[in-house]
Amino acid sequence: MGAQQRVYKQRIKSAQGMKKIFKAKEMVAASRIAKAHARVLATTPYADALTRAIGSVATHSSEVSHPFLQADRHETGRVGILSITADRGMTGPYSHNVIRASEQLANTLRDQGKDPVMYVVGRKGDSYYRFRNRPPQRSWTPYKEPDLPDLGREIAGVVTEDLLAEDPAQHIDELYVVGTRFESRFLQKTRSVRLVPMGLVEAEDAGDHQAFPLYDFAPDPESVIAELLPRYVESRIINILLQAMASEHASTQRAMKTATDNAETQIHKFTRLANSARQAEITQEITEIVGGADALSGSGRTER
Amino acid sequence: MSALDVTFVTADRTVWTGRAAQVVVPAVDGSMGILPQMQPTLAILGDGAIRIVDESGAVEERIVHGGFVSVDSDVVTIGVDDAETAPAGTSRV
Repeated sequence: MGAQQRVYKQRIKSAQGMKKIFKAKEMVAASRIAKAHARVLATTPYADALTRAIGSVATHSSEVSHPFLQADRHETGRVGILSITADRGMTGPYSHNVIRASEQLANTLRDQGKDPVMYVVGRKGDSYYRFRNRPPQRSWTPYKEPDLPDLGREIAGVVTEDLLAEDPAQHIDELYVVGTRFESRFLQKTRSVRLVPMGLVEAEDAGDHQAFPLYDFAPDPESVIAELLPRYVESRIINILLQAMASEHASTQRAMKTATDNAETQIHKFTRLANSARQAEITQEITEIVGGADALSGSGRTER
Repeated sequence: MSALDVTFVTADRTVWTGRAAQVVVPAVDGSMGILPQMQPTLAILGDGAIRIVDESGAVEERIVHGGFVSVDSDVVTIGVDDAETAPAGTSRV
């Protein structure tokens, strides 16, 4: 076998090997999307319950005040950005989209004279900022998929503490979250949301609620709201983390599908090239034999 | 007698849902029993056991650490961080 052919055979082998890996990753990601999405949906009842509870406090007690609700929290100019990226590679543009959105948000905030403080989830985001010599304030990495709710609680604990801190070196005025929203298996959107300060939407018609003027708060409205709002932040963060995880799987699946297709094209191309190399070699051999025979017959000798 | 419509959820899943005759929750200022026709209440929970007695008298018990409960026209919503199954032997009335 000629050298040319050997090179092509080698390329085909390696492309076949890679194709197997991509295919496996694609199928793993595809099977995890549904599970991850189910986990997102499982957080909805809790979030609904919390939203209703906060709504009823707001409706039934005339003056609710909490640090998270103040529209103007300007103290130190520090603004927290929590960005949620992937731990692994091979996720297509997933992590990069989040990083780009975070950078855009940070630039906008800088233009407004604020000082962005990064909180990062995932190794991809962490290494991005470390490489550029801007280590994040806090990063959580690596994380495990089944522990996301616990991770969410930990993150919520840290940011709530920073939001309420008195120390100007620790205090943050606002909190933004940059994550990926899982719309469907085929559509995920990177988006930035402001968690704190949050806006309370007044109920349009308070008349209906007048039927229960004696809503009883235990121990009292202030402590109820003080307990509920951090929980709300926590539940939002957990929800966003789970959505991000589902999106990561969907993005991985898409990237790996493309990679598998590319490997196939590559195999196809090299098979063609190897075939023509083999054919060229055969043609050459025949030409040599025929040429040799012609030369022998031309010399007039009859036996070899 | 009417029954309570109970939804018991944690941050990442639904623990128990259905109709119940009575619910006992560990509010921060002391244990609180919830029966049908109770006035609308919103309470913060401390550490302790949540006991749900369903219409047939069977008891469901979970240990919780912090959370909230809202009662509004016989709809009871309990939201907690974490609900552990109570140790065996304590779940009888």
